[in-house]
Amino acid sequence: MADIKVENLHKEFGAGADRVVALNDVNLEIGGHVFVSVVGASGCGKSTLLNILSGIETPTNGSVTITQAGHPARAGYVFQAARLLPWRTVMDNLLFVQTDRSEETRRRCQHYLDMVQLGDKAKKYPGELSGGMQQRVGIARAFSTEPDVLFMDEPFSHLDAITARSLRTELHQMWQETGKTVVFVTHDVSEAVELSNRILVFAKGGHLTEDIPMNLPFPRDSSDPDVALAKAEVFRIFEKIGALAVR
Amino acid sequence: MTSTSPISPTRAPSLTRALKSPLSGRLTFPLVCLGVWLLTIQAVTTIWPFAVDVLPTPWQVAGFMWDEITGNTLAPQNMYETFWISLQRLGAGMAIAMVVGGVIGLAMGLSKSVNAFFNDWIVAILAMPNLAWALFCSLAFGFGDTGPIVAVVLTGVPFVVINVREGVRNAPTDLYDMARAFGVPRERAIRHVLIPSLMPFLFAAGRYAFALGWKGLVVAEVFGGQDGAGWTIKFWYDAHRAYGVIGYALLFVIFALFFEKFLFDRLSRRFFRWRPSANATAEDPAPTDQQRTPQHG
Repeated sequence: MADIKVENLHKEFGAGADRVVALNDVNLEIGGHVFVSVVGASGCGKSTLLNILSGIETPTNGSVTITQAGHPARAGYVFQAARLLPWRTVMDNLLFVQTDRSEETRRRCQHYLDMVQLGDKAKKYPGELSGGMQQRVGIARAFSTEPDVLFMDEPFSHLDAITARSLRTELHQMWQETGKTVVFVTHDVSEAVELSNRILVFAKGGHLTEDIPMNLPFPRDSSDPDVALAKAEVFRIFEKIGALAVR
Repeated sequence: MTSTSPISPTRAPSLTRALKSPLSGRLTFPLVCLGVWLLTIQAVTTIWPFAVDVLPTPWQVAGFMWDEITGNTLAPQNMYETFWISLQRLGAGMAIAMVVGGVIGLAMGLSKSVNAFFNDWIVAILAMPNLAWALFCSLAFGFGDTGPIVAVVLTGVPFVVINVREGVRNAPTDLYDMARAFGVPRERAIRHVLIPSLMPFLFAAGRYAFALGWKGLVVAEVFGGQDGAGWTIKFWYDAHRAYGVIGYALLFVIFALFFEKFLFDRLSRRFFRWRPSANATAEDPAPTDQQRTPQHG
């Protein structure tokens, strides 16, 4: 579990007439064993926020601190596409992001491959796996580093509905078992409502406009009237800010 | 009531199928060449009887090749010594071309100004005929190993440069970002991301450099060699033995094909076994999500 503190975060791309503001004075605190979803229409700065949190990009202004009990926290990342090294086996892909290659580390990687039901695919190359399997390897890779915080950028958006549903269930079980802090970017309101206990809504121009707590018990079934009501509420907010995306 | 009868595909007779197969196509080509060869000799010697001394028959060429293969030669060195000499020159030239071309290509891929500096010259060198390099190297370096090696370098470098530059330009930035997000040290990212991503481009460059380097080498040895495959072809030319020239050229082609088939193809399968096309077959394609994904919820 990590503590994330974002202060006056501002990010711009380009200059002059081509200048685009991706994030505009974002202030935010996330802490503990929470599953936070970041939602909003395309181009509202969701992925930029995640890239800054994970260190892939640097902010134009403002600061980000991610700590674990006062020390810098360790982060894992699950991308929209699996981003596996095609020339390395599944096990080597997991070992690539580890700090060592000890027997204990190998056992840990194997454990997470077992968790995503790919324990028997450790020696396969990514090209020999389906898209859903590759995404599972990506999830196992992120968990295998035993991160304090997990960043996920629309990890199921490239998958078919059945595979995405299956992976959502697996991910949620892993989150509950491991107690990580998860920051999950999605444009899918239903996905956000079913998975999260907090939803951050971003509007065009990179403004954080709403911070919605989701206190419904897990697991959440989409046919549950309370879940349906919660979705309707988030949709209403989306309509209000003009950033509707539906599933 | 309607009745249906099963429709079975009409099968062509086995002889027709055999004639249409790719294998029969491959076998037919040399047979046609042989026929054209014999007809040409017949036609030319009818018009000009002296041509019988110039145009060798396929049997003369085959006999000459067999003598060379069994080490029974009139040339100063047998075929194996000759090809070994040429192969060493080719190896040295290719190694230099890969290093020099690799460094220049890397710099061109990383820097726009370096690319602007070299680009036109690389295109100009690429357009230069092998013969020009061979003549230049013979004049510049005289007889010996240096001229043929430099000719191989000059022939191969532009291909290596262009391939490596394209490899750097097509570097997988998404994988670098992934490595950065996980805090992977730079040295490990270069070793596991940059270098493997360049391998297909380096391999293609090596293949081109080999194929064109061979030609450059032979021409350079004709003009500036004291031994080697090119020089030996010239030896048979000077001896006015057309069957020797043709036979040695054919041996040279067989030698190059042997390398292509048994060295490059095997290396390619070994290095790129991770590519789906290298592993998947019609019977064992990559799985789809519905085939392999356990269903939940």
